[in-house]
Amino acid sequence: MSSMPKEGHRGKTKMEDIEGDASVGGGGRYTLKPTRISNEDIIICVDVDAESLVEMKTAGITRLDSIKQAILLFVNSKLSINPDHRFAFATLSKSASWLRKEFSSDVESAIGAVRALSATTVSSGQADLTSLFRLAAYEAKKSRAQNRILRLILIYCRSSVRPHHQWPVNQKLFTLDVMYLHDKPGPDNCPQAVYDALVDALEHVSEYEGYIHESGHGLPRTLFRFMSMLLSHPQQRCPQDDCDIPKPLMKKSAESANGEDNVHVSPSQ
Amino acid sequence: MAFDGFPPFISAQLHYLINHFPDKIKVEQVLSGGKSYTGGLDRFTLLIPYCLDHIKWDVIYNAEFPLAPPDIIFGREDEDFHPLPMAGGEGEGDLKSRTKNILSDWKNKDPTRLLALILELRDQYMSYQRDRVGEVDDDRLKFEINTICSREGIEMHISSGSEKIIYPVGRKYASTPSAPRLKLMSTSELRALFSIDDVKLPSWLDGMCMAEYLPHLEESLEKQVLEAVSLIDIRRRFIEALAPLFGRPLEADPVFCRKATFLASSGSFVFLAHFLMSTQFPKQQPTLMLQSSQHISPQGFPKKSPFLTEYPWSPRWDVSQMAERIFDFLVEESLNFKRFCNESQPQH
Repeated sequence: MSSMPKEGHRGKTKMEDIEGDASVGGGGRYTLKPTRISNEDIIICVDVDAESLVEMKTAGITRLDSIKQAILLFVNSKLSINPDHRFAFATLSKSASWLRKEFSSDVESAIGAVRALSATTVSSGQADLTSLFRLAAYEAKKSRAQNRILRLILIYCRSSVRPHHQWPVNQKLFTLDVMYLHDKPGPDNCPQAVYDALVDALEHVSEYEGYIHESGHGLPRTLFRFMSMLLSHPQQRCPQDDCDIPKPLMKKSAESANGEDNVHVSPSQ
Repeated sequence: MAFDGFPPFISAQLHYLINHFPDKIKVEQVLSGGKSYTGGLDRFTLLIPYCLDHIKWDVIYNAEFPLAPPDIIFGREDEDFHPLPMAGGEGEGDLKSRTKNILSDWKNKDPTRLLALILELRDQYMSYQRDRVGEVDDDRLKFEINTICSREGIEMHISSGSEKIIYPVGRKYASTPSAPRLKLMSTSELRALFSIDDVKLPSWLDGMCMAEYLPHLEESLEKQVLEAVSLIDIRRRFIEALAPLFGRPLEADPVFCRKATFLASSGSFVFLAHFLMSTQFPKQQPTLMLQSSQHISPQGFPKKSPFLTEYPWSPRWDVSQMAERIFDFLVEESLNFKRFCNESQPQH
């Protein structure tokens, strides 16, 4: 049974591996303040290290296959919420490089970019996030000039390579979200340490509240679920520890009688 | 907005102008007047809002003579626009001498100067255009202008033969035999609160003139704007009432409050619930649409429900009742939707 995350620490000292809603409530009554929000420019950066080719629990499907599906679902969902959000694509191996640099709100363009995603065959060795942040910061200035905000979503796949970064303390020009897919913890890997490093990076660079999710399950639907939670607009977010979505739609009477497979809690160990 | 490349005194004046001009002023065609680039950028074009359009004026500083005021070049159609008093000229004293004073007393270190100059020149430009409109030989136009000229904020413009008379609320007026063609245009601020497409114009009665019609129009507009604002508030409270049941929305329109999207689950099936409220809410119930976060068709499109508009509803319920009834409806509907998604494609 996983322990509850420490306050404000997003489960940093112990990874959460809960499938089902987060148990902490909404953190106070929700109000919709009449302040304008900006349309988003979103860079989706996929870790294409060889570890992205690890198989998911579903036979014949690699992490990268599921990631591609998740991205298409994400882009479609985001555009159905607001057709003015835009997307660009990058990859991370040793450092970052562009896959598709021009921001576009066209789904076909995203489909094309996703199709072009392919993994490196050899391990990248290290993961330098500095180049990725530089790229995002540069784009963020352009986005800001158009009254947009920039978000960077990093999908990371390595279980033993802690990413590193060097970044000025007060430069928070974009919001960073992370989705971390990893192997089950064992003697030969350190996904917890990697997770902690990702949390550090997120808290260091993120302009608005960034969200991080992780999964060692290997289930595509867990990945889709967490990616859906990243749909939330950075300027309308609550602290991650207060997240209360997705809410289960079920009859009030059924809540105590747990007929549905609503909440699984699987220990990460 | 960064103005890299300008000497500091120009940059300061330009920044001040943009931040303090009463409307949105744009800058383009930034250039350097000097052949060698060492002086920096010192000329640009201003697009100044006027009469629901823009006038383009070139502003020419000289980076090598920073103490001198800039020259202004007006548009080609405005050859007769002379904002400075001619030698020996009389009358029009006040306006023109104000401009002359700003220029002769130019302080390049004062960031407010450029704004003062542009505002003065724009006032003079309005007066110049008013004179031009006054010269148009049209009885109807003369009559209308005389009766409404006492109102504030009238801007007029003659461009290639057609006349426009503009109120602060924004109307385009073209000279026709009977009722004028009225077109309402709103500022960008108003547009964010109120859709001009929803406005009902009071009817123009035969023999009416602008001075009679405009008060009716203003009263009617004010009523409609107030009503629209109160309807926004109702929609806002409705979205807030959904949150205890549906969780914090992924995204909700904070200004118009016309739409909100929530993330919900039915078992391990996770989906989006879109809520779309028309301007007729709560008389008209919200349109709902469900979208799977897990299923994608072979063509690459996510599975969506049809637009759901038939479900129990009463505009007389309070917002929390509305939220509860929609919740109950969606509990059932999401089961149908889940079945529909899984039938064509098994869940991952």
